[in-house]
Amino acid sequence: MSAATVHPLLKAKRRRATLRNLAFLSPWLIGFSVFFAYPLISTVYFSFMKYDGFTSPTWNGLKNWSYVFNDYPFFWPALRNTLWLVLVMVSTRVVFGLGIGLLITKIKTAPGLFRTAFYLPYLAPPVAATMAFAFLLNPGTGPVNRILGDFGLPTPGWFNDPSWSKPALTLLALWGIGDLMVIFMAALLDVPKEQYEAAELDGAGSWARFRYVTLPNISPIVMFAVVTGVIQTMQYYTQPLVAGKVASGVIGGSGQQFEPGYPEKSTLTLPQLVYNLGFQRFDTGSACVIALVLFALAMMFTALLMRRRSGFLSAED
Amino acid sequence: MTQTHSTLTSPSSPSAPAVLPAGSADAKRAATRRAALQWIAVHSLGIAAALFFVLPFVFVFLTAVMTDNQALTGDLWPTTWAWGNFGTVWHTPGFLTWWRNTLLYAGLGTVLAVASSLPVAYALAKFRFRGRNVAMMLVISTMMLPPQVIIVPMYLFWAKQLGLSGTLWPLIIPMAFGDAFTIFLLRQFLLTIPKEYTDAARVDGCGELRTMLRVVLPMAKPAIAAVALFQFFYCWNDYFGPQIYASENPAAWTLSYGLESFKGAHHTNWNLTMAATVLVMAPVIVVFFFAQKAFIEGVTLTGVKG
Amino acid sequence: MSGSTKTTAVAIAAAAAISLLASACTGSSNNTATDDPNKDVTITFWHGWSAPNEVKAINANIKAFEKVHPNIHVKVQGNITDDKINQALRAGGSGAPDVVSSFTTDNVGKFCSSKAFADLTPFLKKSGIDPAKTFPKTMLEYTQFEGDRCALPLLGDAYGLYYNKDAFKAAGITSPPRTMSEFKADAIKLTKTKGDSYSQLGFMPNFHGYESTTTHLAAQWSPTYFDTSGKSNVATDPAFASMFSWHQDMVKSLGGFAKLEKYRTTFGDEWDAKNPFQTGQVAMAIDGEWRAGMAADAGVKFQVGVAPFPVPDDQADTYGKGYTTGTIIGVANTSAKKNAAWELVKYMTTDTDAVVSFANAIHNVPSTYAALKSPKLKLDAAAKTFVEIAQNPDSTTTPASINGGTYQLTLQDFGYAYEAGKQTDLAAGLKGVDTQVDKDIAQAK
Repeated sequence: MSAATVHPLLKAKRRRATLRNLAFLSPWLIGFSVFFAYPLISTVYFSFMKYDGFTSPTWNGLKNWSYVFNDYPFFWPALRNTLWLVLVMVSTRVVFGLGIGLLITKIKTAPGLFRTAFYLPYLAPPVAATMAFAFLLNPGTGPVNRILGDFGLPTPGWFNDPSWSKPALTLLALWGIGDLMVIFMAALLDVPKEQYEAAELDGAGSWARFRYVTLPNISPIVMFAVVTGVIQTMQYYTQPLVAGKVASGVIGGSGQQFEPGYPEKSTLTLPQLVYNLGFQRFDTGSACVIALVLFALAMMFTALLMRRRSGFLSAED
Repeated sequence: MTQTHSTLTSPSSPSAPAVLPAGSADAKRAATRRAALQWIAVHSLGIAAALFFVLPFVFVFLTAVMTDNQALTGDLWPTTWAWGNFGTVWHTPGFLTWWRNTLLYAGLGTVLAVASSLPVAYALAKFRFRGRNVAMMLVISTMMLPPQVIIVPMYLFWAKQLGLSGTLWPLIIPMAFGDAFTIFLLRQFLLTIPKEYTDAARVDGCGELRTMLRVVLPMAKPAIAAVALFQFFYCWNDYFGPQIYASENPAAWTLSYGLESFKGAHHTNWNLTMAATVLVMAPVIVVFFFAQKAFIEGVTLTGVKG
Repeated sequence: MSGSTKTTAVAIAAAAAISLLASACTGSSNNTATDDPNKDVTITFWHGWSAPNEVKAINANIKAFEKVHPNIHVKVQGNITDDKINQALRAGGSGAPDVVSSFTTDNVGKFCSSKAFADLTPFLKKSGIDPAKTFPKTMLEYTQFEGDRCALPLLGDAYGLYYNKDAFKAAGITSPPRTMSEFKADAIKLTKTKGDSYSQLGFMPNFHGYESTTTHLAAQWSPTYFDTSGKSNVATDPAFASMFSWHQDMVKSLGGFAKLEKYRTTFGDEWDAKNPFQTGQVAMAIDGEWRAGMAADAGVKFQVGVAPFPVPDDQADTYGKGYTTGTIIGVANTSAKKNAAWELVKYMTTDTDAVVSFANAIHNVPSTYAALKSPKLKLDAAAKTFVEIAQNPDSTTTPASINGGTYQLTLQDFGYAYEAGKQTDLAAGLKGVDTQVDKDIAQAK
């Protein structure tokens, strides 16, 4: 390779290469600018504006921000709920997913049938699944409480009880564990058999084998599950909304008010607030403030988790 | 125990205990007993778990075939089997429209997303250029983005500027410009294709486009099948998107959104609502049955191992 | 690309984006109606009714209209909620409706002030209709905002007391209660406990109990929600404090909040045959005029009694009043066929026969004086009661506000906390409601 000047042919080759790169990347480049960067800038812009969707937007300074953080009674409960969901729902899902993944690798009789049974709920569309669960967990007339009652067990209020609504949502999330089950199953099967055998020869019991052979090998997948779990939780919208609507029995006839986050704001999530402010309350400015909070949270969690796992970028050598 | 099962079974089972000297009769009996206990434990857990996963479907189905009156009681088993409920739901005005719209959205969206994501993934996996890591980081950050963050300006853009509110186009068109998750998964997979294949193609005089289409694409079929299925299910199950863009025009509703409105119109008829739920869940399950192998293989192949 | 060119590019893009946005956002519409109402035209009408008999009734109404105006064809869409209305009105365009009707009066404030609904005053003048002479007072109240009349009432609802006549007989009560002290006494008499629950409850006071909401009950005290300057009046007007004190007393006397709440979770759906009043789980309930018809349809085994809801002892002479609300109808400002749309609105709201037949079909309260006096109005005893409640000069409604029903939600939220004992300081709580409502309105202004 020549040292000082760049050979014209090399320059031409490089230019061709750059054009080629751009060509291949073009769909995403356009998509990124139009459907990510531009709207993000707009969201920041609108968060300082007062715009109800009908009359022209006017400058509102920091009023929207002050309103959301100080005067909007739904904001802090939604934030708390989001944190609860990130901590509790994500961790229970990962642990349960790992457990089910382990279980499925150990089932010898009709493993295919079990696998299908475990996976099926994941395919249920969220609206359908939530309505089904709201029906099943109806405290008064649902089958679950009927059976619990028959056995003399406590019958919680599920989606109608503020202390039970998030656990009920978690139960729904555990029901749809199929996606995590599959990736954990694949990861578990990938653990080299030799390592297990070596551990056994060293006299390791099953728990020690799990801790020192299984876990280290599957840790990238656990990380992946946690990260995707957090992403999903940030966007958690359909299930809590539908659950609240169905449980509160409000169907809009006779002009009844729907109580966001029924019961008692316990199922409120930030995405629901964006919809409530922006599309029901005609306050798109404040909706954008919440959107930015959501964005900041998502980025923060991502950065936190990605610091430990730069392997996502693992490039070929 | 034989080792003739498919890859998706347990990797190893201890054939000899680590404590007693192998070969003694006591040891063998202890081993068999332990193995038997383990078998019972594992399979009891398995059945309990299976019940947890399957029973809701059963209840939903049973309620779906109850009569109007019985659905209001707490009964678990239908006294008469009202199969006609499915027909009633199917003939509800709009139901077929919802089907058609969901199929259109999911089908078209998937094709566009995969077709546009493949070259991007290819570039990110195979080309070396300055800013590749930055690009990858941006793709990942897009993956993290909740759609609600940008929904307000996006809605204004589609509704006011382009007048496409009340249709599904605001959801379908962006898919033609790559989908972050699809790009990510495809890229991870493409990284595992050895350089030798692309090098060989280049030596044969193929440009990058041809290499991608003729050499890499056939090898990537399982990964493509997997991301296509992911994308399809995502669109099929999407509720937020149709709520924002299509809610004002019932002719554009999808199954997810229509199901929720169904409850609104039939708030007393849990049996009909559950029948509708069954009809919305069923196609997805059917598709899964046919695509099962591709699906599960694809998940493992896309190298989520990182 | 070098670093600085990249930054410049981003800056330019951002500026372009912002200017694009600013231009995109101007509100819709012209305020004039220039279409020829006699030309052949198709207009779209959205409404919220979904039950089969209601849909049949409204379609019959439309057909009758089309007969009178053969050049106007109406495309009807039912089961529309306010969310969808908001979206359509905001987006405008060809998919937006021309005529819209909504069950909630809540958004009238926003629709009028933002001009999403067309101002109907010129149309009313043109057609020679004097609203004050045509429509009952409270109905006029909830269809306008700060002087802007952008909607008209399309049938109304009134709330009253439903009582189980058989249960009354069994408990030795000869007539429905007229004052709150009579009501409390009767409710206690009608309550039969069973174990740690009830076999029959006199009245379900808990605010989640379907229609026994804060706003419906507060109406019996004739409250004023906003003072003349538009500020929330909840802490100043003694009506609210009285209502909440009465409510606390009722809850305590009937068994306490927890026990009542547990009983409430055993109730069936409000709208199906398992409605707790219809099953006999509660002997008295506050509900709208539709309940009589629904109970009859469900074939309840007992005799259903209807009366105005009781009034506070110190307002005994206002007995007969109640909470009223209704469906509203308006013309979308983005419509290019406003004159034709007005013909439909005029027909549905002022044509006496149309109003009467619609009211008969769906058992709602007619919304014009003429209809209320019409001999064609099929009024059984129950319906008569509600008509009287609707016409009672002391009946009240929840006023429109610029941010819709938010203030009602705020009051409701306080009610939930107060009844559960989570908030015990009534005065402070009501003040809190005022502050929150004022803040929300300031934000929306």
